[in-house]
Amino acid sequence: MKSDFSHILDTIPPSGIRKFFDLVIGAQDVISLGVGEPDFRTPWAIREDAIFSLEQGKTSYTSNSGLLECREAIVDYLARRFQAHYDPKTEILLTFGVSEAVDIVLRSILNPGDEVIVPEPSYVCYTPLVQLAGGKVVPLNTSDTQFIPDPDQIARAITHKTKAIILCSPSNPTGRTIPKDTLIQIGKLAREHDFWIITDEVYAELTYDESFQSVAALPNLKPSTILLNGFSKAFAMTGWRLGYVCGPPELISRATKIHQYSALCAPITAQYAAIEAVKNCAKDVQDMRESYKGRRNLFVKRLNEIGLPTLLPEGAFYCFPDIRQTGLSSEEFALRLLKEQRVAVVPGHVFGLGGEGHIRCCYATSLEELKEALSRIKKFMRSLK
Amino acid sequence: MNPIDTQVLALVSANARMSADDIADQLQISANQVETILKNLETQGVIVQYTTVVDEKKLPQRSGKIKALIEVSVRPEKRTGFEAIARKIAQFTNVVDHYLVSGGYDFLVIVEGDSLEEISSFVSDKLASIDNVRSTATHFIMKKYKEKGILIGQQPKEERLAVSP
Ligand SMILES: Cc1ncc(COP(=O)(O)O)c(C=O)c1O
Repeated sequence: MKSDFSHILDTIPPSGIRKFFDLVIGAQDVISLGVGEPDFRTPWAIREDAIFSLEQGKTSYTSNSGLLECREAIVDYLARRFQAHYDPKTEILLTFGVSEAVDIVLRSILNPGDEVIVPEPSYVCYTPLVQLAGGKVVPLNTSDTQFIPDPDQIARAITHKTKAIILCSPSNPTGRTIPKDTLIQIGKLAREHDFWIITDEVYAELTYDESFQSVAALPNLKPSTILLNGFSKAFAMTGWRLGYVCGPPELISRATKIHQYSALCAPITAQYAAIEAVKNCAKDVQDMRESYKGRRNLFVKRLNEIGLPTLLPEGAFYCFPDIRQTGLSSEEFALRLLKEQRVAVVPGHVFGLGGEGHIRCCYATSLEELKEALSRIKKFMRSLK
Repeated sequence: MNPIDTQVLALVSANARMSADDIADQLQISANQVETILKNLETQGVIVQYTTVVDEKKLPQRSGKIKALIEVSVRPEKRTGFEAIARKIAQFTNVVDHYLVSGGYDFLVIVEGDSLEEISSFVSDKLASIDNVRSTATHFIMKKYKEKGILIGQQPKEERLAVSP
């Protein structure tokens, strides 16, 4: 009996990223463009407030949904920054990063056989978590529309079982953002066919050319929207494990029920840190954004110059070069680049449909390293000729 | 100064050796434009000098500079106020920074020398002896923690996983 583990779990393969990670670990003198987190430390003012909270002896559990003071601060920030309006008492729940939020939201809404539309390539946790929640993933390949989900394609995928669509903008792995018009069209479908839009906006602050459009701020969409966001990327706080989900009270109360049993509450130290982050750290975020933007511009321009066609991504800190003209699969490309030139990238196929033929490069690393990586990639490209 | 000038200035202020190409690509302009902007900022005197932040502790013994902050109180002069005295003080080669400040004294003068003796004699022979300098208080710098916005002596270590989702 003991050797019989969860059957659903055993059908889910381990993350393709992990596999690559194990390969990189053993190698020497590798420049990694494979990371998925900022290269900044958490701004000192935030760390300092967390330390202060510890000195004050704030080491207890908080309420299940999180300190009211922290929820209020986040809700104010969302209103100020993205024109998204929520009630701090009933419409927000603090979680262990966006990761937990994705999980409990899916478990709150799905029944066996319910379908969730996932435009791909996508962040790696959506599909497994839909499956673990008993749902069925309906993946859409967005590579024909330059990785922007196409409302017509979505319309064709809708059935009477469609329960939700998961959007991620700016996107991991492509860095693309979904234009407002497209969001409005997807919103129209969601209202007509009565399904949720789960919108992962963890990279919202890292939007470089235009101001960010939150799905939650679009007219009439709030009742259909489940907004996920967190502190990992915008405030360089990946290790603190703090995120949040905002949505209608009937959803938040259900997600809170799961959270209450499986997590109890988000870490209190992170909650105190978060209050300082959303209240007083706009300047730090601005400086980090400027710094990523400069590196994005340089890195993407030079990738194109060395023969890897790459769209200029509007946000996040990833770009998604097209490697098809090399004739290699993305896995071969990544493995050989690692072995021959010691540059780690993530092969696109791990992000689902449409990812094959591409690699994900993270440019949140120093300019010197980016330049060295570019010169190694250039050598690699030459060696293929 | 337009916004692009400001951005170029920010990049060279952080790293004076950044190449025109690297600046250009980050700001989505041409390297020629960068050269022109820098030339203009130089001729307008906006950029006065490109300098280096050094951690003297890493230099071979005794080749490092000794630095001191000197608080100087003066009696302002008729007509010229602080200006004439300030210009006299600023000319000395030992003086690396010189500010008029509000508060309990008038000038904050930062001096550098090869030895304690050199600085002491600078203070007594050159500075304190200027007409209308009423008093000085010298603080030798014992350890640097941060200079020009840069933390000294702390090597940030890369702790991120090499590959993550
Ligand atoms: C799109 C996306 N969503 C969620 C996460 C997880 O974020 P958190 O640290 O808040 O759990 C990541 C992290 O890489 C991500 O890229």
